Amino acid sequence: MKRAPLVLAGTVVGLTGLLSFRTPTASVSLGPLPTTPGTTTTTSPQAGGSGRGTTTTTTPHQGGSGQGTTTTTTHTGGSGQGTTTTTTTPTRGSGGGTTTTTTPATTTTTAPPATTTTTTPGSTRSAIGASVNYFYGVISVKVTARGTTITNVTIASLSDGGNFRSQSIDNQSIPILEQQALAAQSANIQGVGGASYTSAGFERSLQSALTQLGL
Amino acid sequence: MGTVITTSLFDDAGFSVADAEEVTAECDHWFQHVDATFSTWKPESPLSRLRRGEIRLDDVPGEIRTVLELCRSARTITGGWFDPWAVSDGVDPTGLVKGWSAQEALRFFIDGPARGVMINAAGDIATLGGPAAGETFHVGIVDPRDPHRLWGVVAVQDAIATSGLYERGHHLWNPRTGSTDVEFASASVSGPDLAIADAWATALMVGGQSAFERLERTPDYEGLAIGDDGRSVSTSGFVCSPVTS
Repeated sequence: MKRAPLVLAGTVVGLTGLLSFRTPTASVSLGPLPTTPGTTTTTSPQAGGSGRGTTTTTTPHQGGSGQGTTTTTTHTGGSGQGTTTTTTTPTRGSGGGTTTTTTPATTTTTAPPATTTTTTPGSTRSAIGASVNYFYGVISVKVTARGTTITNVTIASLSDGGNFRSQSIDNQSIPILEQQALAAQSANIQGVGGASYTSAGFERSLQSALTQLGL
Repeated sequence: MGTVITTSLFDDAGFSVADAEEVTAECDHWFQHVDATFSTWKPESPLSRLRRGEIRLDDVPGEIRTVLELCRSARTITGGWFDPWAVSDGVDPTGLVKGWSAQEALRFFIDGPARGVMINAAGDIATLGGPAAGETFHVGIVDPRDPHRLWGVVAVQDAIATSGLYERGHHLWNPRTGSTDVEFASASVSGPDLAIADAWATALMVGGQSAFERLERTPDYEGLAIGDDGRSVSTSGFVCSPVTS
């Protein structure tokens, strides 16, 4: 059976906060080059900023002629609302099992909490929020702003029970990455349900970074 | 805090990607609008202004009154275990807004380009149709003890919401006692409406066994709760199958 393309549109919304009204320019691409035929890939890169941000790539290893999935997430730049559009195109071959590993395309500097702030209006500046203990470990968030507009928010460091994840993961991509990884555990599900992937620690570190930036 | 909402379209008969992108763009605008209206983070949002007493209930957008009405219903239905008024700083309907907005967003896809639609609002899922003709959506439920694994798989006709401590730490409290103790590590509730399912999931977390007994007597909604020890309890109609690879 041939399946039609699956289109995934992701909206980043902060119901209790953050980000939706501020435009991240990070470009997050989840996704491999599919090895199965018949795959369409839709990409709409609109790097509105000047190349700030991080790129995270997820690379599924095909189990035989199993599923191939390509996802491209584009954060549109500019000063308006931040919108993420994710387009996913799966193909289904004859096989099943797909395992997913995550390969960071960009590795972060795991700088300790430190501030790089310039005071020139309109210039790009960034601050790293305090390291905050949260449910799984210690997190700190890096905020980049131009003028009074936040242009990027990333996780500066994330320590998870001794397993330091040295990749900079755009915080908005975490749920998508998690979902992709989880969904890949089973070929027979279309989605993954669970409690929200947001953390109070993230929020607290973010607030401390915002304070440093005077936002 | 940011939330990621994804919309997935499915159709084994094929559909136009351009049409799909058009309708998902409408959907995007809807969520941005909801955010601008209901954010408790943004001081200028109508809800924030209402909470500060700057504007009266008569002056807020109709959507806020709709949601508060829904909160009232949910509080009644859950026997008070879900209570957005049990906060110190006025009403906080945030717990229900996410599910409500995803449920509402399905309207953009009725008679839309694809047979099946799944809107996943950070783990709370509203669906329309199925992945293919005659098929039902299947959703993996995260194992609260290890959020990188799945606990089981549930066939979902309409919606399923999950509440848990594993991602946000303790953000739940008992509206009757003020206690933050909960009996379960996570609770999932399926049913026809995601907003109500969401409220029930919260109710099970804080209300434990007595909320469960109430849910058992409630038609159309079914629940599953998983404990820290890995044991689970579910209502009689909740069917969860093992994860198959």
